[in-house]
Amino acid sequence: MRTAPALALLAAAVAASLLARHTLSVAAIALLLFLLCLRAPRRRRWPYLVGTGVSAVALFVVTPFVETLGSHPLWTGPILPVIGQLDVTHEELASALFQACRLAAVGLAFAAYALLLDHDRLLAAAGFARRSVLVVALATRLVPTLERDAAGLVDSLRGRGVEVEGARRRAALLSPLLAGSLERGLNLAEAMEARGYGRAGRTRVPPPPWRLVDRLALVGAAALTALGVLWL
Amino acid sequence: MALVQVDGLTFAYPAGPQALRGVSLRIERGEVVLLLGNSGSGKTTLLRALGGLVPHFHGGRFEGRVEIDGRDTRTSRPADLAGTVAMLFQDPEEQVVLTRVSREVAFGLENMGTPPQQILPRALSALAAVGAAQLADRPVSELSGGELQRVCLASALALEPQLLLLDEPTSQLDPDSAEELLERATELGSTVVLSEQRPERVLAAATRVLFFEAGRVLLDAPVDRARAWLDEHRPAWSTEPRLVTQRDEGTGTLLCRLRDVAYAYRPGEPVLEAFDLELRRGEIVALAGPNGSGKTTIAKLAAGLLEPTAGHVERMGRAALLLQDPGRYVVRDRAVDEVALGVGGDLVRARRALADVGLAGKESRHPRDLSSGERERLALASVLVTEPDLLVLDEPTRGVDPERKRRLAASLRADASRRATLVVTHDDVFATSVADRIVHLEKGSDPEGLTLTQAAARG
Repeated sequence: MRTAPALALLAAAVAASLLARHTLSVAAIALLLFLLCLRAPRRRRWPYLVGTGVSAVALFVVTPFVETLGSHPLWTGPILPVIGQLDVTHEELASALFQACRLAAVGLAFAAYALLLDHDRLLAAAGFARRSVLVVALATRLVPTLERDAAGLVDSLRGRGVEVEGARRRAALLSPLLAGSLERGLNLAEAMEARGYGRAGRTRVPPPPWRLVDRLALVGAAALTALGVLWL
Repeated sequence: MALVQVDGLTFAYPAGPQALRGVSLRIERGEVVLLLGNSGSGKTTLLRALGGLVPHFHGGRFEGRVEIDGRDTRTSRPADLAGTVAMLFQDPEEQVVLTRVSREVAFGLENMGTPPQQILPRALSALAAVGAAQLADRPVSELSGGELQRVCLASALALEPQLLLLDEPTSQLDPDSAEELLERATELGSTVVLSEQRPERVLAAATRVLFFEAGRVLLDAPVDRARAWLDEHRPAWSTEPRLVTQRDEGTGTLLCRLRDVAYAYRPGEPVLEAFDLELRRGEIVALAGPNGSGKTTIAKLAAGLLEPTAGHVERMGRAALLLQDPGRYVVRDRAVDEVALGVGGDLVRARRALADVGLAGKESRHPRDLSSGERERLALASVLVTEPDLLVLDEPTRGVDPERKRRLAASLRADASRRATLVVTHDDVFATSVADRIVHLEKGSDPEGLTLTQAAARG
């Protein structure tokens, strides 16, 4: 499948999950996207899946305490300054689950975009705003690069007998990782300049012809968005 | 008209010392010019100047004139020179823009405004020319260093440049791959200017040699005369093979034993099977073999960074590992703190270790402000300060000039009795000058065995 229709399908899934009103519908979309993400290699997909999962669970846990909704309390806690009465109602739990499913669906759609789409083709397909698309493509590549750099840093420290354990020690690696990526960015910019980037009259690889599956994907994307508005 | 004309080129990077001093030279079409010289002598700066990146990208103070095919680089931007000139940088990982190999090779052609229907055929043809046609659909993130270097060379060759600039193009390759890559680079008829730290790999392909020192051209001569000059004036750069004699196997205390070890990064794809190795105090063992034969994996297994999927690894003592490209992995803001990290913040030991590698007086410098050579020494100090019983070095001579290699070999030999040392290297000259024995690995099979080849010439 061409990249543009695939991207349209993912965008439609995000739109449908944001427009849908039923938790089951959103959960079904999230499940489909999760199964899609499983097509990516295990070692590449886990940071995206874990990140999305942790965020969704955190949202589910926090929402009932900060939301005031419903009149069927399941648990009533103390009164806190500023926040007021802590309680968890049946309605709040349902709302938390709904929001968590939405977040999961959006996160998984991004994971599928980052893991499964051919960003080079996306760049080639961009008839306008090529610079922005290139930035997005490079930013997307940054994740696996940072992952590799982080692994290298940890190995380098372990090679000196320094174990990197615990959130504090891992957080201390962020600064060198950032410095390293800035250095890498400079070198990349130099290489791009040397390869003629920015020169007038740029051409592009001809895109592959549209096939039936591409057209079907576009129709499916429109239908999925409509479903989200009307029935889900 | 000469393809390259350089007149009185003097250049200093912003806030830096002069990197080039009054360089003048003329390069005719079809020449293959080899640039030699210690790190920081000006080779890379000259390549950048020929590509227009100096001064356009780097800024700095530029005097003199560089003309490429009649175009003055002061008035032509690097992007405008691209196509006439193509450049391959030292680190292939830092020049890749796109995610798929064929698209990456096509990137430069697109920038040149190549007719759309010709872009992919030319990209695929360039990949085939460097023996990498099978990589066309692979993601670049899954390539080995050697494969990536081929892809980057293909990206340069796809432009069919008149002038091909190669900055240490074989630094990540085993000798056979390096020879093949250089053959491909030079057989297509472009004028080639390349810098190298391992002249033995390149001299046969070159027509002319320039030796740089402190930004000046010390020698500009045909290859035969250059060989004689190197032998006489810069023996560390001499390519004569060292005397090799047999020596008894190590008899010191056993410090590490790998027995029947296997390892696979992915199920069903072992990189190592039934591998045995013993390392004893007092001996230096070099691990050689082609790209992908499992050398780095063995280094990590020996140092305890990986656990074998089968077999046993025993370590009797403390192990330390210096990874490839160690200058990239710095975590602290001062050199002394970086070194002290491995010894619980002991600044006294850290200062001593820095002095041992010639970095006294640079304790308070930020590691990223050090030159690449200094960073490598800093990384070495960071490992040596832990006084390991087993020292594992993974490609410690990558990008290192012969003078520094000789000093590193001498230093490792001098302290050899303190520990067991395992050196992973593609560098035959270094391996034979430092090791008591060399273990040759074959790709996808068992090692040839513990080939005992003591390289003497240790003074």
